[in-house]
Amino acid sequence: MTASTPLTQRKAPSIPFLHRALQSHSFMAYLYILPSLVVLSFVVAYPIFYTILLGFYSTPAISPDRYWVGLSNYIDLLRSRTFWETTQNTLYWTIPSTIGAFLLGVPAALALNQPLLGRSLLRSIFLIPWVISTVAAAYVWRWLYHSDFGLLNGYLMAWGIIQRPLLFLDSTNLVIPSLVIVNVWKTFPFVMVMTLAGLQAVPSELLEAASIDGAGTVRRFFAITLPYLRNVFLITFLLLFISNLEHFTIPWLMTGGGPARASQIWAIDIYTTAFRGLEFGLASAYSTLVFAIVLLFATVYVRLLTRREGVEA
Amino acid sequence: MNFLSMRAIRARSGLDTTVGWKILSWIVIALLLLFTLVPLAWMLSTSIKSQVAAMQQPPRWIPEVVTWESYLKILDPRQEGGQRFLRYFWNSLLVSIVTTILSISVTIPAAYAFSRFKFHGRNALLLIILMRNMFPAVIFLIPLFLVMRTAGLVDRHASLIVTYMTFGLPLSIWLLKGYYDNIPRDLEEAAQVDGATQFGAFLRVTLPLSAPGIVAAAIYIFIQAWNEYLYALTFLNSDRLLTLPVGLQAYFSEFVTDWPGLMASSFIMSIPVVILFLILQRFFVRALTEGALKS
Repeated sequence: MTASTPLTQRKAPSIPFLHRALQSHSFMAYLYILPSLVVLSFVVAYPIFYTILLGFYSTPAISPDRYWVGLSNYIDLLRSRTFWETTQNTLYWTIPSTIGAFLLGVPAALALNQPLLGRSLLRSIFLIPWVISTVAAAYVWRWLYHSDFGLLNGYLMAWGIIQRPLLFLDSTNLVIPSLVIVNVWKTFPFVMVMTLAGLQAVPSELLEAASIDGAGTVRRFFAITLPYLRNVFLITFLLLFISNLEHFTIPWLMTGGGPARASQIWAIDIYTTAFRGLEFGLASAYSTLVFAIVLLFATVYVRLLTRREGVEA
Repeated sequence: MNFLSMRAIRARSGLDTTVGWKILSWIVIALLLLFTLVPLAWMLSTSIKSQVAAMQQPPRWIPEVVTWESYLKILDPRQEGGQRFLRYFWNSLLVSIVTTILSISVTIPAAYAFSRFKFHGRNALLLIILMRNMFPAVIFLIPLFLVMRTAGLVDRHASLIVTYMTFGLPLSIWLLKGYYDNIPRDLEEAAQVDGATQFGAFLRVTLPLSAPGIVAAAIYIFIQAWNEYLYALTFLNSDRLLTLPVGLQAYFSEFVTDWPGLMASSFIMSIPVVILFLILQRFFVRALTEGALKS
């Protein structure tokens, strides 16, 4: 293999330039990274560029032609009432979903961080909703929520809590809270795992020292554990928040955005604009807008990551 | 677990193991178990009922008559329905396995380069790769669909495989880089002194040592590919090519009331990922937390 470059020196080949190129670590590094970059640029870089470009075009469904329309897709979008209603729904879906996952995931991690019997079995069980397919989760919950034969309505009626079945997925008031519960079920394990990992970084000496100084459990948690968890929480929150902002599958399979667009969120709107309405230009502008919003959060995420790296390096 | 490590865990926990906290913990755990398990148990319970029994109110957890009818229907290769379901299953398996193998073969050299070499733009490249996880899948949907259409890949598994590769790449590169960072260079150099090429040293020394990382990355990639829905929905049209997540929809839209069948299929679809995950949970959890937290 000519490309092999031992870290110890070798006798120079006859062509100095080629030798230098092959010996240089940069060259080797680029060579090794190349396959990843090819895949990523084909499937990531080019599509981003293409979406942004297409957002400035009108693409009539009936013909393959496209026409430059400047910012008019954006103006149409920002002027339409449905866009703002969808945005409202998206926030109504994203914020409670993210907070809910924390409200369950953090206590789960704190409980499982103690030496309990069957700890690792419990952790495995809690993680099942998170590993199984979102499609399976959506179907199971649709069945649980079923207005005539669902488990939830069955019990609520049998116990006499309600007289008539609740329309979990068919009432404009209940639909988003019902979907949020499914999402929390699916994502709280993620918060749990991340928090558990964060807890391992809390130095035990500090906790012991505080304990000797007479700090109680609650005091130690707020004074020592919580500050250590801050970064983990921030990163987990952002990751989850962003993935909820762009979420598609749960509402799509459970309600299709209904009833009366009450659970229509960004991703569903973009999908239907593009693949039902065949307005690829408008949908691209829509994507770009969402992309810009996500990018804002992503910048924060990267800042946090690099700041951590800076501290540790 | 010996006494010392128990103590270490207790000291690390931040909460005392006093009785009160223990009781509180068990209450939290009991409630969460209920929340986690009821839907899963109901899925299993429904899957072994007849269609009539499934609609019985008030609900019964254990049916009077247990029937395997739903499982037979989707798994019997002699029947048309069974053939269809098994084909979706096979498609999912094929796409996920090919994605995993290709991703890993691209990941290993990249992670190695990021770990071992200093070169221009190293940090910037690493950041860009990591940023991939931040971009909404929806954003890539339209352009990728159009690109795949131009490339003639729509309605082919290749379009899914290429797309899924990018889902797993960032985290697996990050994870494996962490493994390589921890493997001392001296080990490779020693092998080279013994006459191995750098590649040989990598193959014999570094690769085996990073096996746990590779396994973790592979599982992660496989599970993501197995569960993916949106791109499969967009890229595939032909019924014979559908993967399980989209196949189920096609399969059951004709029989909307067949809840036992739908639950049985959901269960079968979950088995591979849950088993993989349970066996190799340690690697997997470590992969995730290291990917997002450690640098």
